[in-house]
Amino acid sequence: MNLKDQISLMGMDDIMEMCINQEQQAIDLYSLARDQARDESSRQKFQELVDMETAHKVALRNFELENFIELPPADLKVTDYLMEPVLKDNMTTQEIIILAAKREDKTARMYQDLADHFNFDKNLNTFFQMMADEELRHKHSLETEYENEFLQEG
Amino acid sequence: MKHERPQSFNTVPMKERLTIPRQAMPEQDATVRSTNFLEVNLGLTPEQAVIEAQRCIECKNPTCMEGCPVSIKIPDFIQLICNQDFIGAAQKIKEDNSLPAICGRVCPQETQCEEVCVMGRRFEPVAIGRLERFVADYAMQHGNGSLESFEKPASTGQKVAIVGSGPAGLAVASDLIKEGHEVTVFEALHEFGGVLVYGIPEFRLPKEILRQEVATLEAKGVKFVKNFIVGRTMTIQELMAEEGFDAVFLGLGAGLPRFMNIPGENLNGVYSANEFLTRSNLMRGYDFPEWDTPLYRAKHAIIVGGGNTAMDAVRTAKRLGADEATIVYRRSEEEMPARNEEIHHAKEEGVKFMNLVNPIEFISNEQGSVVAAKCLRMELGEPDDSGRRRPIPMEGSEFIMDVDMVVIAVGNGSNPLIAQTTPEIQTNKWGNIVADEDGRTSMEGVFAGGDIVSGGATVILAMGAGRKSAIAMNEYLKTKVRNSA
Repeated sequence: MNLKDQISLMGMDDIMEMCINQEQQAIDLYSLARDQARDESSRQKFQELVDMETAHKVALRNFELENFIELPPADLKVTDYLMEPVLKDNMTTQEIIILAAKREDKTARMYQDLADHFNFDKNLNTFFQMMADEELRHKHSLETEYENEFLQEG
Repeated sequence: MKHERPQSFNTVPMKERLTIPRQAMPEQDATVRSTNFLEVNLGLTPEQAVIEAQRCIECKNPTCMEGCPVSIKIPDFIQLICNQDFIGAAQKIKEDNSLPAICGRVCPQETQCEEVCVMGRRFEPVAIGRLERFVADYAMQHGNGSLESFEKPASTGQKVAIVGSGPAGLAVASDLIKEGHEVTVFEALHEFGGVLVYGIPEFRLPKEILRQEVATLEAKGVKFVKNFIVGRTMTIQELMAEEGFDAVFLGLGAGLPRFMNIPGENLNGVYSANEFLTRSNLMRGYDFPEWDTPLYRAKHAIIVGGGNTAMDAVRTAKRLGADEATIVYRRSEEEMPARNEEIHHAKEEGVKFMNLVNPIEFISNEQGSVVAAKCLRMELGEPDDSGRRRPIPMEGSEFIMDVDMVVIAVGNGSNPLIAQTTPEIQTNKWGNIVADEDGRTSMEGVFAGGDIVSGGATVILAMGAGRKSAIAMNEYLKTKVRNSA
């Protein structure tokens, strides 16, 4: 059974749990990467990502509409054309941000796909659209950091 | 900033000063200079310098000094030029800036002292940078190599190691040798000067100027050691514990080139700006085959970026004989961080500009050499944190252009060697050394300043950081003596 069929059989609580689990997967991944990183600077960046994803998880757990209703900023597409780095123990901070932005992008696409699929169900459509927008906000924040630090054009 | 008004030597009536035109910098002809590596700007003549100095309206509250990161006493040295005391003017600058011939050439005065010059509110600002360069050059040509009257102080018996011979390191050396410390500068490369030597081309900053500055410091007693990589040849701990250095200054700069992370950046013919400029500047690639450093002569070289490094690289490519040399920049010319003068010179020399374009892939032939760049057109969106409008890719706008050389000039990061070999020194997530405003790091007796702390910045800011650290290091060394007595 594919994800869309599974979701059509789920209640709203289970769908929310699935989304929270998505954040937990990211927390687990970045925690592992932090523990394996060789450089202090990489460890710091992975810890920042763990903190960011934990905050997202808490926000989902306490799902309050006012935190999700705002439309996302324009997609900067800064990392869209960059190569996806492989997770390894000697990643640079630049690679870590690209990796994280691409993960946010993929998750946003997944939610957008679900929103489009459930366009016949206003509740589900709106929920998944807000989730997609939330992931785009995270991507925007990472890409802004990337631009400020790695595209100084010196 | 309170500043006592200097004695006026300017005999030109105040109203007439407003009508004197800003003196133009004599330059090599563009078609001639685009085929040689000699300096583009030739420097003001003494007559021009005096006329330019006479444009100063001697403000009661001069703002120019506020624009200078090291607070050079600008009104004072300008008055000394009016009095034709060029050596005195150079000495006045040297009280605050140990490298005026360099800063006069590469400082972005238009965004510093000249930007806040009161004359600039209605007319063109006084050409402070050109005057600084003039007096520094004059003093070098007419002095004894040292601009200051230097009396060797009594030795404190304390040893200071300076890691890196760029602007921050040279500023620290200059200040601490005056205090009687035994100062040694360690340089990883085979020439001294750091980014000033490997990064800035001869046509903008002749190497001879640096050699003279280093020779002056040597004459004052500073020891210079080249081909010495701190972190490899010897660690900081070894320098302190085994070689007996009482304090260390880290001025390593930001020498780690950044790439874009797009496919094809590892192809033959794709260089970082650091590698390309180092081959030409430091290893004299432009003198091949007299010097043994080959550099490819391109049919079409593209340089990705819009900063001063990109301008240096594109003008170097042109001088090396590229049929076409093009700046590829993702924003418009208005947002370019390069100095206007550099953009203007590049255009005069035949450099092409392809703005609002960003490469997304480099394509190779069967031999693995770059033959084309796949690019996207960009459009400008809302302003970002820097106030410049953000470039946004235009979907479906991909195009391919033939290129046989690419230079990536999108910025530099810090070298990770010190962080890897000295865990006692705290770094931030970007790999920069964490230091307080006086340069103190998390390791006792170790100070740091310049680009290794701040990330890529200007020569004068690095020097300013070096001077602050020198004061703190001197205090630290004095306290150390007191505590051990």
